[in-house]
Amino acid sequence: MINTLLIFPIIAGILMLLVRKRVFDNLLLNVYAVVHFVITLLLTFTQNFNKVTQYFAVDNTNKIFLLVLSFVFLMVTIYNNGYSKNLPSFGVQIKNTKFCLYWFMVLTFVWAMTGTILSTDLGIAWVFVEATTLSSAYLIFFNRTKNAIEAAWKYVFICSIGIALAFVGIIFLNISTGGINTLSYAALYAHAAEFDPMWLKLAFVFIVFGFGAKMGLAPIHFWLPDAHSEAPSPISSLLSATLLNSAFLVIVRVFKIMTLANCDSYARMILMLMGFLSIFVTAVFVYHIKNYKRMLAYSSIENMGILAIGTALGGTAYYAVILHLIGHSLAKASFFLTSGNILELFDTKRIKSVHGLMKADNKTGWLWIISFLAICAFPTSVLFISEFLIIKTMIVQEHYILCILFVLLLTIVLYGIGRVVVKMAFGEESKDKEKIVEQNKKKVTISMYIPQMIMLLIVFILGVYVPPVLNNVIKLAVFGF
Amino acid sequence: MENGFILLFGLSMLYLAATSRLISHIRLLIAQGVLLFLICCFGHSEHTGILNFSFLTIETLIVKAIIIPWFLFKILKKTNSHRDVAANIPHFYCLVIASVILLAGFLAANYWFSSVKMISPIYFGVSIATIVISLWLITIKHNIISNVIEFITMENGIFLLSLSVAKEMPILVNLGVLLDVFIAVYILGLFVNVINKEFKDLEVSNLSDLKDYEYND
Repeated sequence: MINTLLIFPIIAGILMLLVRKRVFDNLLLNVYAVVHFVITLLLTFTQNFNKVTQYFAVDNTNKIFLLVLSFVFLMVTIYNNGYSKNLPSFGVQIKNTKFCLYWFMVLTFVWAMTGTILSTDLGIAWVFVEATTLSSAYLIFFNRTKNAIEAAWKYVFICSIGIALAFVGIIFLNISTGGINTLSYAALYAHAAEFDPMWLKLAFVFIVFGFGAKMGLAPIHFWLPDAHSEAPSPISSLLSATLLNSAFLVIVRVFKIMTLANCDSYARMILMLMGFLSIFVTAVFVYHIKNYKRMLAYSSIENMGILAIGTALGGTAYYAVILHLIGHSLAKASFFLTSGNILELFDTKRIKSVHGLMKADNKTGWLWIISFLAICAFPTSVLFISEFLIIKTMIVQEHYILCILFVLLLTIVLYGIGRVVVKMAFGEESKDKEKIVEQNKKKVTISMYIPQMIMLLIVFILGVYVPPVLNNVIKLAVFGF
Repeated sequence: MENGFILLFGLSMLYLAATSRLISHIRLLIAQGVLLFLICCFGHSEHTGILNFSFLTIETLIVKAIIIPWFLFKILKKTNSHRDVAANIPHFYCLVIASVILLAGFLAANYWFSSVKMISPIYFGVSIATIVISLWLITIKHNIISNVIEFITMENGIFLLSLSVAKEMPILVNLGVLLDVFIAVYILGLFVNVINKEFKDLEVSNLSDLKDYEYND
């Protein structure tokens, strides 16, 4: 089963390169999305299948990450069916054969993320994380504007250097292990108590900075707003909802080693610091932002910060972290996809140029508002539960000042985003924009609404009712920390 | 023998810091590739199986000493860039600072880490110094091809560091790393070409349009 997940895209990719027809490539991507989702469901919720291969396995920890990746990928693919008909946007001139690389690269990107999530070996995970950088670079560069080049260059350069430093961390980890000559998580967990603490701590710093660069934690988040805002919208949502999670999974695995080696107070301090810094950076920058996709990217940084803080707190917060991860992925994917609709309608990412979204396109307007409510943890969004649990954990552990700071920063971010969302959704459209919107309306097809609706529905249902099957998976994942 | 090669490798970083002609930087990459190949050959034959070992060393030679420099040569020709003159700091000071970092690497390795049995100080010192010098050079150089070159020297430093641990990484990881580095350089190279086409030169400052407080479409 696992092999199918990883081998199918290789074969499909080769076929895509050979055929290079839009319809065919799109069809293959859809097939992979469905296959991916079905296999993931089977692997996650049933017991009958072989879940372990030499380097890849489905265990309690990565189940939930795989499920989120698979579901978001399926939704994005559905959206992509409508979106890719309008490609290439901005009147960009691309040869058809080159243009078909879009689907190939999406496929490779998802393949690399699946590999990262499933790998049972830190080294293999590293290789796959770097592969995600390389495959998504083309997608960020896809629109071929000057800004897209800048974003892609920064992305590849910063992430590659970050990941290279993470490899230094892995080498240090290897030094700290003493006699054990392997990087497989199981072996590392088993012998964690014997590791040399000095080297282990040094390794953790490098690994968190390396994979944290990929995850978008401040102070190494600089690529994130650029890349998210310049990539085509389905790619932005894949980046935000799945790529950041995959990097987070690697950090969680290494964090577990720290816990087992009794160095966790050190690790917690670093994560807490980076988490608060991330939220702080968002709170500072989200205020005067001029580009709504950048705003969403900053919100991703904030949410990754919350994940880091939750991990640092421990206890009940682990459960909250998993809930938050699910909620953020679905809500943010839907937010980014909706921003794609707005971009199609208005032809601009400038906040000031978009007014009266509700009048321009009622459905997009409502999706925009509801996505905002979901991401800002309005009850019954599942993010409400997760943030509530994190705040509760802070109070239980008597971190009162941190708790106040946390709530204050979140409120500032909420106000910053809310103001923009309301400004864009209501009011009157300007006359010249009205014409453009009328022209562009036919571009937004029904498949560009449905995925967001499904995802938002799930986010709001999970806030009141988590199905026992899913709850079980989440509870098991908590032991992975 | 092996230590001599490592010292040469460390000295090559000083050369990188002191010169501005891009073509000689690329020649230096070839030299570093060959040195790494030799270090691999002389230092590590006893740890792994013969098949893995030969595969790894030959791949090191091919990727680091042949393919990557050749690819960079092509880019250099295409983009017509010869020198990176716009560094923030004069070459003499560059050389001094790089030497100090190298010295610090040696000292740190000998005084602090000599007690750790698994790592040999000379490897460790040189590789850490290489990584730091490369990162520092990336921050002060203005030409994006130089940045790519320094990225590769940093990767070389990390490769040396992974050799300094007396244990081996799993072979699959090593191969994956080499492959990833190669593809990263390839992609960066493609971007250099694109940047050369879109902008009038290869200055890093061209790539600073995306800002938070200003809007660029």
